[in-house]
Amino acid sequence: MDWLDFFQSITDGLLFGSIYALIGIGFTLIFGVMHKINLAYGAASIAGAYVSIAVAAYVPLPALVTFLIAAIASGGIAFLIYLANFRFIPLASPLATLMATVGMLILIDEIVVHATDGMPQPYPALFADIYIEWGDFGLRGDLIFIFVLSLIAMVVLMFMLYRTRLGIATRAVAQQPVAAQLAGISLDRTNALTFVITGLLGGLAGAMIGASVGVLSPLLVVPITVKGLIVCVIGGLGSIPGAIIAGLAVGAFENFFLAFRGVTERDMYVMLLLFVFLVFRPGGIFSRSVARD
Amino acid sequence: MPILELTTLTKHFGGVHAVDELDLAVEEGEIFGLIGPNGSGKSTTVNLICGVVSVTAGRVAFEGRDITGSAPHRVLAAGVARTFQNIRLFGHLTVWQNLWVAQNSVEDRRSENFAKRWFFGSGATRDAVDQQLEFAGLAGKRNELAANLAFGEQRRLELARALATKPRLLLLDEPAAGMNLEEVHALDGRLRALQQAGMTIVLVEHVMELVMGVTDRIAVLNFGRKIAEGLPAAIQEDPAVQQAYLGGGVETAHA
Repeated sequence: MDWLDFFQSITDGLLFGSIYALIGIGFTLIFGVMHKINLAYGAASIAGAYVSIAVAAYVPLPALVTFLIAAIASGGIAFLIYLANFRFIPLASPLATLMATVGMLILIDEIVVHATDGMPQPYPALFADIYIEWGDFGLRGDLIFIFVLSLIAMVVLMFMLYRTRLGIATRAVAQQPVAAQLAGISLDRTNALTFVITGLLGGLAGAMIGASVGVLSPLLVVPITVKGLIVCVIGGLGSIPGAIIAGLAVGAFENFFLAFRGVTERDMYVMLLLFVFLVFRPGGIFSRSVARD
Repeated sequence: MPILELTTLTKHFGGVHAVDELDLAVEEGEIFGLIGPNGSGKSTTVNLICGVVSVTAGRVAFEGRDITGSAPHRVLAAGVARTFQNIRLFGHLTVWQNLWVAQNSVEDRRSENFAKRWFFGSGATRDAVDQQLEFAGLAGKRNELAANLAFGEQRRLELARALATKPRLLLLDEPAAGMNLEEVHALDGRLRALQQAGMTIVLVEHVMELVMGVTDRIAVLNFGRKIAEGLPAAIQEDPAVQQAYLGGGVETAHA
């Protein structure tokens, strides 16, 4: 293998990994605030992207607007997931909400299969015709766009969480749910809002997956769910900076093995990476959750 | 009409009667002491009042309104705030932010529009936070993380956070635990100042110097039941109370 191929595969992977980072942030944010895992999150993300092409089928839309519709639709679906799977289910039972979200994942998947007759749907790409070259090394325009859009989403999220009162109240709930309520913050609204915000990020990620793969398929749901969870574990449950770094790293790692070992072997190495982390760094790269005391 | 009225308030944890048919009436403007041996149901009573723990039976009324079973943030909005026995600050927020997120009184909610409220806050609430920090003696620590404060400072911050919600009734769950005598005296003065300003306070406490000195009336719990109620001097002489505290005088119950 030569160094140029190595750099090329790692770079492409890093850019695509920003999508995994967004998915990982979604899992980790809900875990940080509620100490719960929403397994239907990946499905909601892809479903949001499906809604956006359904809308685009009626009204011709610029690709960027399609992306925004995906984000908003997924935010709405995430809110419904909160209502159906968390709001009225006793949170004290660790398995109840988890199983509810497994059911929701399959339900969303079935709805998508039913609505599309199981056929993959083409998704509009952005800047796919741009290719920046330096000799044999090059950058795909669509991947750069994905990376930049993800970066903007992350910066906005971090700004919200660390600078606005909404975000600070959310972090207060994550750190001390009882005291937060007794400071006048509604747990229910904070939880619902957290779901909507993760949904917005997920819908954006779902649209970008559709755009970079070129099609949407229900088969995308399980891989992004699993990779989102892996990112979440490697980054440390509840840590947003951890999820960002882990997302980029998993993207680079899997693309490296895609380039040098082929598509059928790729995910095996990703799973091995998960086990390595669970054995040697079970707390994630930073080994300290930033969310809870 | 009492500001806080508990009627046959009961809480069972499985077979344990943590609070058993408790009747209590706290009058507006008084400092009311709630004492009793460990496990006598004092903290559970506070948790029942502010909605952290569900009520098995009975009624909690604040200013004549039934607040039994209300969510904690609604109890707070009604005008009841509290502090915790084991300090519960938002450790990874700064001192200033700890107070800022607590500006949730009805007046604060009315004074800010939605965008102001949830993004950067109005100048008025930000100024109010600065004043509260000044009052709590924490102005110099505004940008420190709450987790990094000294113990006494954390207690002051928690009290300031409760006051930031502009309550009319303040529930203090062992505020003097772990304090030295000097800090206890400072707390004593602070509570009297709050009473002067019109606050009603329910004080759950083991430190008898504080309870006997500052309270107007005291109720004594044992095994979830009220065994005595009255003026501090009378409580000290009450044989049932002395019996509850292992047969000794009330003064022996410092630990």
